[in-house]
Amino acid sequence: MGAEVVTISTDTKFVHLAWQREEKLLKDVKYPMGSDPTGNVSRLFGVYDEETGLALRGTFIVNPEGTVLNSEVNYYNMGRNMEELKRKFKANLHLAEHSDEGCPAQWKDEGDRTLRPSAELVGKVYEALE
Amino acid sequence: MTMEDVCCGLKVGQSVPDFRIETFDPSKGDFGEFSMADQKSAGKWTILFFYPADFTFV
Repeated sequence: MGAEVVTISTDTKFVHLAWQREEKLLKDVKYPMGSDPTGNVSRLFGVYDEETGLALRGTFIVNPEGTVLNSEVNYYNMGRNMEELKRKFKANLHLAEHSDEGCPAQWKDEGDRTLRPSAELVGKVYEALE
Repeated sequence: MTMEDVCCGLKVGQSVPDFRIETFDPSKGDFGEFSMADQKSAGKWTILFFYPADFTFV
């Protein structure tokens, strides 16, 4: 996908190894599985739950300069949509090359309509997306 | 819930400080390390994907 994906929980790397080898659903996983047993990295991103010692379901996209561009946090009982994550990542790549544009909600992939904020666009977003 | 309970966490637009964590890397079948500083010096995009616990659904 063009980004390094790292999954992070408060489990140790030894538990990551055991889980990845035991759980058949994970047999094709290629991403490094990060270990944050102190919770320090989870706290840095505001996803550490002090009551449970666990990290909430947070996803963060960071650009090559180290700036956080997207942040999404779900509670324990809701999974994340990988298509939406890919859409956001592709939009970031587009916007990194086209800093005068904006990707509207409907933007899915390269070639889709973008917006250029300007005086002419005010009140005319509907027409611009037609 | 008081104002003091509501705190912290990086927001969009803020810079991620350098940090390192130990990893298990299934592609190598070995332990390793992830370094934010290395990502920046290599000019790579990063997606950090937090989840509560191994041996549960992700």
